Amino acid sequence: MTVFHFFNCAILTFGPHAVYYSATPLSEYDTLGTCIKAALVYLGTALVKLVCLATFLKVSENDSFDPYQELLKALIGFIDVAGLYFALTQLTHRNISQNHKFQAVGLGWAFADSVLHRLAPLWVGARGLEFTWEYVLQGLEANANLVFTVSLAAMGSLMWLRKSKPRALILLIYACAGILATMPSITSYLRRSLGWHLPEVVGFELSASLVMAIISWQLFSACQRPLV
Amino acid sequence: MATRKARQGEMLESVYSVLAMVFVLFACVELCDAATVLDVYRLIQYDLAGSPFGSRFASLNHHASSSAFAPGVDLSRSVVISPVRELNLTVFREFIEMRRPLGGLLFLLPKHFDRSGKQDAEEGDEVDEGKLRNTLAELEDLLIHASLPYPVYFAFENDKVAEILADVRRNDASSQPATATTGGFKLLVSTSEPKKLASTPITNIQGWLPGLKADDDVSQLPTIAIVASYDTFGAAPALAVGSDSNGSGVAALLELARLFSRLYSNSKTRGRFNLLFGLTSGGPYNYDGTSKWLRSLDQRLRESIDYAVCLNSIGSWKNELWIHVSKPPENAYVKQVFEGFSDTAKELGVKVGLKHKKINISNPRVALEHEQFSRLRVTAVTVSELSVAPELLQNSGGLHDSREFLSESSVIKSVKLVAETLARHIYGQQGKNIEIFADGSSLAVNPSYISAWLDFLSQTPRVAPFFVKNDPFIASLKKELAEHNVEVNVHQDVLDGTFTFYDSTKAQLNIYQVASVAFDLLLLLVVGSYLILLFSFLFITTRGLDDLIGLFRRPPSRKVKTA
Repeated sequence: MTVFHFFNCAILTFGPHAVYYSATPLSEYDTLGTCIKAALVYLGTALVKLVCLATFLKVSENDSFDPYQELLKALIGFIDVAGLYFALTQLTHRNISQNHKFQAVGLGWAFADSVLHRLAPLWVGARGLEFTWEYVLQGLEANANLVFTVSLAAMGSLMWLRKSKPRALILLIYACAGILATMPSITSYLRRSLGWHLPEVVGFELSASLVMAIISWQLFSACQRPLV
Repeated sequence: MATRKARQGEMLESVYSVLAMVFVLFACVELCDAATVLDVYRLIQYDLAGSPFGSRFASLNHHASSSAFAPGVDLSRSVVISPVRELNLTVFREFIEMRRPLGGLLFLLPKHFDRSGKQDAEEGDEVDEGKLRNTLAELEDLLIHASLPYPVYFAFENDKVAEILADVRRNDASSQPATATTGGFKLLVSTSEPKKLASTPITNIQGWLPGLKADDDVSQLPTIAIVASYDTFGAAPALAVGSDSNGSGVAALLELARLFSRLYSNSKTRGRFNLLFGLTSGGPYNYDGTSKWLRSLDQRLRESIDYAVCLNSIGSWKNELWIHVSKPPENAYVKQVFEGFSDTAKELGVKVGLKHKKINISNPRVALEHEQFSRLRVTAVTVSELSVAPELLQNSGGLHDSREFLSESSVIKSVKLVAETLARHIYGQQGKNIEIFADGSSLAVNPSYISAWLDFLSQTPRVAPFFVKNDPFIASLKKELAEHNVEVNVHQDVLDGTFTFYDSTKAQLNIYQVASVAFDLLLLLVVGSYLILLFSFLFITTRGLDDLIGLFRRPPSRKVKTA
């Protein structure tokens, strides 16, 4: 019965990635290679981040919000952005359109992130007899993370791969990307400083992800119009 | 193009193999989480002359229920959690007599009975204490003499368990009892099946204080023996500390040993009697240990025993103590001994009564220790607060016999009584108005010594079959006796075969909060429909609605083409 629960949470956590891949034209253009390359870049980025965190961060005794530490964590979070930049621009992809490239990279990135951060706790925890809502909430968080990553990849591709952009929107694009990149710091601030519990934080993440997705979609289609 | 595809295929294969290896690795990870883990103590399991008694099983894996043994409820797959405070004994007795099937039983004892020091002492109701004690005593009696084909455990209440019990009660009140399909709490004790213990070791410790032998004395000095049995028997052997039965006797014996060793250390005050102190085992089992020890004694020593004083349960009496004898009261020796005790008692302001019970050699039942002496024709008495000799396995120190029901002043009074009586007999001062162990003197009875030993005894479960080899408790008794005696001997033997015990007295209980199968199915439905919705949404927004419908309608278009 509890393997059942593990199965439920697993399909909630990893299902959307598979669904995203098969439902959109990504599967038609066979962009699996791009996804896998992006996942490997994420792996490398995660290692670099870990080393930086271990070197520069102090372990705090209590669970309060320390602005200096959080700033440091946010700066290290920008290594993520650098990794995405590398994945989007430096890797040689097959001839896929801009549209699909950022989606494939975002998908591979988010999938690697989910597997690395959520598979192990799920395997160890959800199979036990004890029932908690934690793993369902973790699955929802993985969903929100997927949307965030794809939006960030979209903004990234707009910033680095498109040469001509409408003037007015450039600032908005950078602002959007900035918010997406610092999302982990924002959630940690909510959890520690304001004392929100996991369900509330996940709720916030889901709604924020929808909002950011809509904004980035509009920006992306707005930037596409001149080339059409 | 083909090589690229081949390379991609290879990469995919290697990825799959890595994934498979990773999954195999993860499968070895142990599951060990539980919301609550509790120390639980199992009901004793024993065979008496072949008939089984006690709880016959140890491992437990069922849902929790809190229905109070109401008839008509199917409890064969649930564990009933029952706080002893709210137990209705008549209903429970009926339940046991009807032999209704049950998955398991968990009794919750009040917090302040937990002497392990893990929990803070709380103020309890004084009024309820007596009632609680009686309930516990009756419950223990009932459980010891019943044969229950399911595991029975005792645990101490704490906040977490109280919360869980409240939840279970709420669930029970609202719907059917918890089973695999309705969620709730699952209780799990994973131990192996209880095994028979090969034999029960008996360790008797004897201490010897020789008296003053004059140079021209050829014959053996007379001996006075002071004996107490130190082991217990209770419903939960890991909790059977027996503060009164017979912790009080042991503490009194040690204090007497200390007092007399002070007197005997100086040759000017050494009496003309030898003193033999005996700490015997096997008390609850017809004082088998005492019998074996006496038979192992040298015959001349045994014959030199003038009389023996056995101490049994002297910790909670107020004004009246009983002297039990087997020889008829008209007997000269008995008269002498009893007079000695009454005189001292009068001075102390307490009363002693005489109880006579003839021994029947053909009856194996030995209710009080002095009977073992009497069977070997040694004059002996038992000093006890009990007015009636207890039945088999009764008053042998169980759950209800805990430190708080013990009164230190009773033990101190008893020590004074016995010490003064013996000393007057030894030094020939009967009838004289003299107080040897006066308060405030260097020979005063030491309350802190008694209190310390009572505390130690109240924290040590002492059921004979569960003593380990070279048990530290027995070693500490031996060491203490060696401090006050010239010579200490240990006599080892084995309990006779009428009693057979089974192991597994302590375990850890895991309490899990489980969700029902219905919940998991519901979750599967929700997640499944979410994924399908997501699929359709993405499909429609990126490829259009026509394509989605086209997914389900491909075959007909083919037929049209061929035609």
